[in-house]
Amino acid sequence: MINNFFKLIKNEFHLMIKGSVFSFILFCLLVISSTIFALALRHVSFEIEIPMSFLWIMMFFISLIKVEKVYQSEFSESKLQQYMLSPFSLEVVIFIKNIFIYLNLIILFIIFSPFLLIILNIELSYFIPINLLLSLSLLSIVFISSITSSLTISKNNRLSITSVLTLPLFIPILIFSMALTDVIEFSGNKMYLFFVAYFLLNLAFSPLLTSFALKKLSI
Amino acid sequence: MIEVQNLSFARGNHLILKNVNLQVRAGEVMILRGPNGHGKTTLLSNITKMIEPLEGAIFYQGEEVDDYIASKTFLFIGENSFAFDQLTLDQNIDYWLAIHNVKFSKSIREQSIQFLFQGVNLKKKYYQLSFGQKKKLQLLLLMLVNKPVWILDDPFNGLDVDSINKITTLIIKKKQNNGIVIIATHQNPSIQELKFYEM
Repeated sequence: MINNFFKLIKNEFHLMIKGSVFSFILFCLLVISSTIFALALRHVSFEIEIPMSFLWIMMFFISLIKVEKVYQSEFSESKLQQYMLSPFSLEVVIFIKNIFIYLNLIILFIIFSPFLLIILNIELSYFIPINLLLSLSLLSIVFISSITSSLTISKNNRLSITSVLTLPLFIPILIFSMALTDVIEFSGNKMYLFFVAYFLLNLAFSPLLTSFALKKLSI
Repeated sequence: MIEVQNLSFARGNHLILKNVNLQVRAGEVMILRGPNGHGKTTLLSNITKMIEPLEGAIFYQGEEVDDYIASKTFLFIGENSFAFDQLTLDQNIDYWLAIHNVKFSKSIREQSIQFLFQGVNLKKKYYQLSFGQKKKLQLLLLMLVNKPVWILDDPFNGLDVDSINKITTLIIKKKQNNGIVIIATHQNPSIQELKFYEM
């Protein structure tokens, strides 16, 4: 079982690599939109909070799109049937997929972030706090997005609007992220711990809810 | 033995299955027959607990089937391919055998792969394969996943004579080994002592 578990992880890694092209395109769009944003506001002087909020919101949308895309292709009915009758529970498969989506996004963000900081006229000394903030908040965003996507892609869910139910779950991340952009200096701020705590909470319920939605609504 | 008792299933306001009762004993092959849209696939999904019936229950060896029993007992091969188009055939084989926790030795795996995919380049991307070649991945699961009950939804669809013969041989072997096979199909496989259920 352990041996096959590692094989599963290895193959999920292959899938992540194959899916990187799509993520790369999303990040190229992020660079383009950041450039337009910076050009549009070139005569306005503003604090770091504005480009930071812009980056955060763009990353939020990128993760939503990425999770949706992965779930649409990797949880089709025929694949789901195999996952459901597999000795590995669907929750485990969902957890592994979410972690690889997260890694895919955050690695690309770390690679792209120096360019984004230059484009958005943010000092490079903010590199670590910005990456820390986004890497911590993105973890929960990916797990909550998985619930949203499982509701959206379900073929038996005639009320697609139900995916809106997950929106309140994003709000605490939004509030704490914005609060942290106000005190962006990285000095071991305890507010970062909120993201860890919120992620642990998500870890407990989001794979369960996602698998429940997939099982009950997709076949 | 698998026993389906008074099973009814509805999607929305539409009743698809009504009071279905059937029994399949160890060493039996049951064919579900009926026109399209009469609920054959739905019945298979109900048996494997992938969907919840409106009424009734499914028992395996006297125990009511739940998610845990279903994952231990059933191997389901549906009509559509479940493989990842972006992976190679080799990677797909590795992935799906890992998902089903196949524990056979490397040599048995290699022999089975050789038996089914003789002459096929395993490094080919899955989307580059023909329909029949894609179907063979499903047959590989039949060969290597060790579960007592096979649930097959139209397994002969789109296959050449050679592949149909291979599936038939596998089903006969499963029957001889006291396994249970339930098949939804429009064809009559050349297997002796079949049980039929008309939908």
